[in-house]
Amino acid sequence: MTVNRRKKPAAVNPVKIGQSLGAVLALQGCYRAMPLIHGSQGCSAFPKALLTRHFREPIAVQTSALQEMDVIFDANRNLEEALNIVLSKHRPDIIGIVGTELTDVAGVDYQTMLKTYKRERNMRGGLAFAVVLPDFRGSLESGFSSAVEAMIDELIQQVGHRGSRNVNTRQITLLPGSFLTPADVMELKEMISSFGFDVISVPDISTSLSGHLLTGFSPLTRGGVPLDSMLQSLQSGLTIAVGGSMERPARRLHNALGTPYKVFSGAMGLKATDELLHFLHQISGEPVPLRYCWQRENLLDGMLDAHFQFAGISAVAALEPDHLYSVSGWLEELGVEQKALIASYETPLVAGMEREVWIGDLDDAEVLGKGADLWISSSHGIAGAGRIEAAFMPAGFPVWSELGAYMSVSVGYRGAMEWSNKAGNLLMRREAERRESSVRHR
Amino acid sequence: MDPVRKEEFDSGACGSLAPKTKACPRPKPGEAAGGCSFDGAQITLLPIMDAAHLVHGPIACAGNSWESRGALSSGPSLSQYGFATDLNDSDIIFGGEKKLKESIDYIAGRFAPPAIFVYSTCVTALIGEDMDAVCKEAADRLGIPVVPVNSPGFVGSKNLGNRLAGDALLQYVIGTGEPEPEMQPGVNLIGEYNIAGEMWDIEKLMNSAGIAVTSRITGDARYKEIAWAHRARVNMVVCSRALLGLAREMESRYGIPYFEGSFYGAKETTYSLRQMAYLMNDRDMERRVDRLTEREENRLAQDLRPYRKLLKGKKAVLYTGGVKSWSVISALKELGVQVVGVGTNKSTEDDVRRIADRVGDDTEYIPEGGASRILKTVKERKADIMIAGGRNMYVAMKEQIPFIDINQERHKAYAGYEGLLRLAKELTYSLANPVWKLAASPAPWDREAPPYDR
Repeated sequence: MTVNRRKKPAAVNPVKIGQSLGAVLALQGCYRAMPLIHGSQGCSAFPKALLTRHFREPIAVQTSALQEMDVIFDANRNLEEALNIVLSKHRPDIIGIVGTELTDVAGVDYQTMLKTYKRERNMRGGLAFAVVLPDFRGSLESGFSSAVEAMIDELIQQVGHRGSRNVNTRQITLLPGSFLTPADVMELKEMISSFGFDVISVPDISTSLSGHLLTGFSPLTRGGVPLDSMLQSLQSGLTIAVGGSMERPARRLHNALGTPYKVFSGAMGLKATDELLHFLHQISGEPVPLRYCWQRENLLDGMLDAHFQFAGISAVAALEPDHLYSVSGWLEELGVEQKALIASYETPLVAGMEREVWIGDLDDAEVLGKGADLWISSSHGIAGAGRIEAAFMPAGFPVWSELGAYMSVSVGYRGAMEWSNKAGNLLMRREAERRESSVRHR
Repeated sequence: MDPVRKEEFDSGACGSLAPKTKACPRPKPGEAAGGCSFDGAQITLLPIMDAAHLVHGPIACAGNSWESRGALSSGPSLSQYGFATDLNDSDIIFGGEKKLKESIDYIAGRFAPPAIFVYSTCVTALIGEDMDAVCKEAADRLGIPVVPVNSPGFVGSKNLGNRLAGDALLQYVIGTGEPEPEMQPGVNLIGEYNIAGEMWDIEKLMNSAGIAVTSRITGDARYKEIAWAHRARVNMVVCSRALLGLAREMESRYGIPYFEGSFYGAKETTYSLRQMAYLMNDRDMERRVDRLTEREENRLAQDLRPYRKLLKGKKAVLYTGGVKSWSVISALKELGVQVVGVGTNKSTEDDVRRIADRVGDDTEYIPEGGASRILKTVKERKADIMIAGGRNMYVAMKEQIPFIDINQERHKAYAGYEGLLRLAKELTYSLANPVWKLAASPAPWDREAPPYDR
């Protein structure tokens, strides 16, 4: 309905994350990949540390390690050196060069440099692309989707016009948004494949960041979608994008190859899941598998059980735009009052929401959400939630205050049930604590 | 012998103010790891708990880094707020100075901090923002110190950032305030950041020996105590060579003697406390320190007995920054743990010399090369445990190697006598955990013999 901003000059306790981190995340979902951040050392060290804390997995990333004089004279010399080392030492299948605020303000043209580099060294077989992602625009979500878009562009270019497209109608390309956890991506893949489709997820963090004990450590990514499968995904009969931010990469596939696409803004809660399953049922002609019928019953029963808990409850949520949209829909179904919704930056999806959305930070969540019972945000929000005495529910990125956050499910009936129970339990505990503190000891 | 002056060793140190004989090594593109100068400056200054820390630049520098360190506070928490000017495209085109000024005013008006530190970043340095002028103007107008920290990420390494933060303290803070008259002059602890509350263990020890802390630079510090740091009698540089320059400058400006010490391990702790008392030139204090350290060492020896038995002969690979590499070796040696490999990537020549004094000839030095290189040493030397920073923690988990986190993100305090006991316990828990056996054994169906019907 409306998008607002509180007037203040500084960001206080930001929700926003640098775009380049989103690109690093996207590349973690590709097999044997290496994101190469074109910027100073900190531009890769911070995302690496933050992603490691969230996923509790080693994170593959490298840097061109720019210093002052490199920026002044020729930043691309460093990039070339970095490319040489990464290629000769690790032999990655996929390299993503990720620009930063530094290279973009300095006006470094690394896109052309990469083209020349590829031509001169006659690079074949792998996939190398560059993506412009200054941190003064967007956030994690836009960084993630832009990187996927650039990756898909490069895939299309590489296949080029050779050979006609051999459309496989039983194959679907899934484009999962940045707010989905590895377990979410896994769940979506299962849901789609339960209707008899082959699913290729691009990227696929469900097999790389979900915690596995594959043989040992590698400086490159482990798990994720291999390059072969990515190339094969171009034959898919349909693209399913989850999250409004993933519409652009889906459209890329449509424009270049004519692949039809369907965008689901979210897949959280009863209605959203109904919609997804109904769609799959219609296009496949298969009945909805029994387990989802059961899960639907389970969810509704759970919601009935929990509705006493959510009566008269209000919530504040501060998340990335797509995630906020999903969470808001879920809160709606629970009958929770939405005191304030805060997004990290403005996108068409949040601008089109029926509720009022604020573009801001966790300080805004504290001010606008005063009196709320439930606080949903990244782990950065713990202190703020404490100050307004709301129950704190970690979600989004980064979450370091609880184990297994990356394996929690939010999509499908199962996800909605998990979230409802979790939120309900937090509220119950808060109520019990309050009761205890009101007991007088003599 | 004068233990205080070691200029001839330090002149080549990366963090020193003296003319350099050797420049800091340039990070290698495609192989570099670790933070930048901006990161280093924050590490040094963020533990000033009651001050506001404002990052001037686009969101990533603040948004990706706030709340990532384990420096604890005993009270104020304003330094845990993430403040950023969050520049967008048009700010960069038209200049962000106006926004910076407004942000400073906003923070001063709303949070009333005793001081505001303003950090430059690559972009604001690149577009030539005159941060010093904005800060000076704001300080005059608002009547509180507004300290510019000129340490954009691209000027160099984390170490350099520590040093630049020290320069900012020298230039704008130290010497600007006076302690209460009844305060007893004591020791400045330089480069101890109260990670996981280590400072509190150290302070408890110092207090029981009657040694006062004048300023904490900067673990769990308050702004005003740093302003009066020039009134201390002794400076102790705790495990941070980058701030040696600060100590040296304070010696020449205010005549405060300094020494380098560590609190990792009982021996180092005892040495540091003795050194303090010696430099304070107080016989009574020296006697008190002797009694205290003797008592504590005896008690520790008792407490450590069961753990020593288990840890004796165990092999460890240590990979951590700078000074910690040599000081932690002492602690491990006291527990009977043998260090078979040690990282020297961030160490100066002097550090390496000290490492050499503490380890055997067969210890492998790991100069650089990240995770794969460390793992190679662990395997070749058949190490039982890896001791490193958080970034390498899950690397060790992937290889199913027991691990102890020793860097700034950790949650356990290992300083002092108490800390050594804690380290012994942590090592034991880690090595004895049943998970290692479980993870190494295959699922029953993978263990089965192949079906017989073939």
